[in-house]
This record gives sequence, structure tokens and C-alpha cells, in this order.
Amino acid sequence: MKLLQCPMNGTRPISEFVFGGELRAMPNPETSTDKEWAAYVHNRNGAPGLKKEWWYHGPSGTWFIAERNTLTEEVLRTYLFGQETAA
Amino acid sequence: MQMISQPTPIAYALKGISPKMGSPNGMDVVMSFSDEVTERKNRQLLGVCDVSCLSRFAIKGPGTAQWLEANKISIPAIANSWKLQKSGALVLRLGNSEFLIEDQPEGKLCAALNVADRKTLTGLYKVERSDVALILSGNQVLSLLSELCTLDLREKALGENALVMTQVAGISATIIRQSLNNEPVYRLWCDGTYGAFMWDTMLEIAVEHGGGAVGFSSHYKL
Repeated sequence: MKLLQCPMNGTRPISEFVFGGELRAMPNPETSTDKEWAAYVHNRNGAPGLKKEWWYHGPSGTWFIAERNTLTEEVLRTYLFGQETAA
Repeated sequence: MQMISQPTPIAYALKGISPKMGSPNGMDVVMSFSDEVTERKNRQLLGVCDVSCLSRFAIKGPGTAQWLEANKISIPAIANSWKLQKSGALVLRLGNSEFLIEDQPEGKLCAALNVADRKTLTGLYKVERSDVALILSGNQVLSLLSELCTLDLREKALGENALVMTQVAGISATIIRQSLNNEPVYRLWCDGTYGAFMWDTMLEIAVEHGGGAVGFSSHYKL
């Protein structure tokens, strides 16, 4: 059974979680070019490696960040958004 | 004015049987499924009891802890824990700023909080809930939970006042363990729309282990 550490609820089976996509910085919609905005909306980086991702713990409704190596499937750490330094 | 009773969330699962019904707090729930001896045997072996009729009040927002304390509620210090009030009401801290309160059958706390002034503080949001609430009891209760939940809910793994939000039979649920009438029981809340499914699933396992359904009056005397 795959397990994931929720920063609020502890270690839980992966079936309790939903993947929310890679954490990406949104360009300023007022100042970005159409090309930059289109790239943000439509393009994703599929190259394997260490990524920061949004994950959601369904039973408690907790969104958090997981740093995951998508090549080795290793989760280095998880933390609430904005609490990276405390993790 | 005619009072209309609300059906319990597990009403659909009760079709085809004719238990003794009652309407505590205006909700039709089963008071007893069979005679007192059988009810006690089921309760002590592996009993599943619907207590959805207990009054509940839920609130969230940054000002919630302060507001509850101003209303003389003794709140749990940390998230994912619960605290019993002197009145017997349960205060569940579901997050840093979200709480669920459940009264005893004749408790008045939820009714008082419903009408308490929420305008003095900003950041208070009442949460409408329609839970199915169950009591799981008996010395075989962990056999049932281990079939439906991946978490270790034994006494040494689940702290005395710990609250867990996890999945039971694939449904998101909140679980605590408490002492009720000097008997250790597990309490479970989940969305009411899953009530009939949760009831049927638990009852099937309970019967396999020699237990069964238990009526409201087996745990609470009105």
C-alpha cells in the first residue's frame, strides 16, 4: 500500500489523496503577453524529476504541497502552502 | 402547527423491517430493533447504532475559537482532537478554525449557539451539516473497523482525545473513541447521503461477527 504524509493528519493511504497538479507561479494576467499566458494555461512540464505538487487529503479537506521525485516516486517532504520553511 | 419529523439518513436502509421508532429532536430514528436482551447482547458484542438525531452545530472561520470561548465552551487546544463539556456535549476540533459540536439527547447547547450573536466578531461562518452519526460498540468493534478502515484505531494507536478524519468503506468520515455509559465506543460521522450505504456495509459485517443493529434507547434513556 502506498502511503503519503499529510501535514495535518499524518500518514495515510494514497487512496485518501487526490493529485492537484504541479505548483507553478502564475504570470501576472495584466502584464503578461498572450504567449506567456497561453503557455501557463496549456503547457505542462512532463520531464521527470523533483517537483513541488499540490495534493489534497479528501477526508479532512486539506490542500498541501508535496515535494516528489517523479522519476523515483520518492516523496521528500510535505507541508502546508506558505509553511515551507517550517517543514 | 403540525410538526413534521425528518427521516434519519439511514431511512432507506430500514425499508422492509418494522423496528420500534421514535422521534427525538424531531428525527425519526429506531429506538429498538428487538427485545432488551438481544439489544444488550448486540451492543456488547458488536453493535451499530444510528444517533443521527442528536443536535449538531458546526462553525468555522478565523474568529471561531474566540467566539466559542466567549460562549463559555471549553474547546480542545489543538486540531484533530475533541473535548467533553460538563453537559455531556462533544466539541470536536476538525481543524485550526473549524468545530463541530454535538449535544446529548436533551442537551440545549447547540440550540443556544444557533441563536447566539455572531455579529460581534468577523470571520464566523456557520456550516450546515447533515451527518449520519453512528455509535459502534462491543468487544468485536475493532474487527469491524479493521475491515473497513486502513488506519490502526486500537486504543494504543488512537490517543484518548484524538480525532481522525479518514476513509471508512471508501467514505470520508470522522472518528473518535469515547466512553459512553462506562463502555468504550467508537463514534463515526459522515455525510448523510452515504448513510444507507454505510449502515448496510457495517451491519453486514456486524452480523457476520454475531452482532447487529442496536436502537437509540440502548445507549440513551429518554
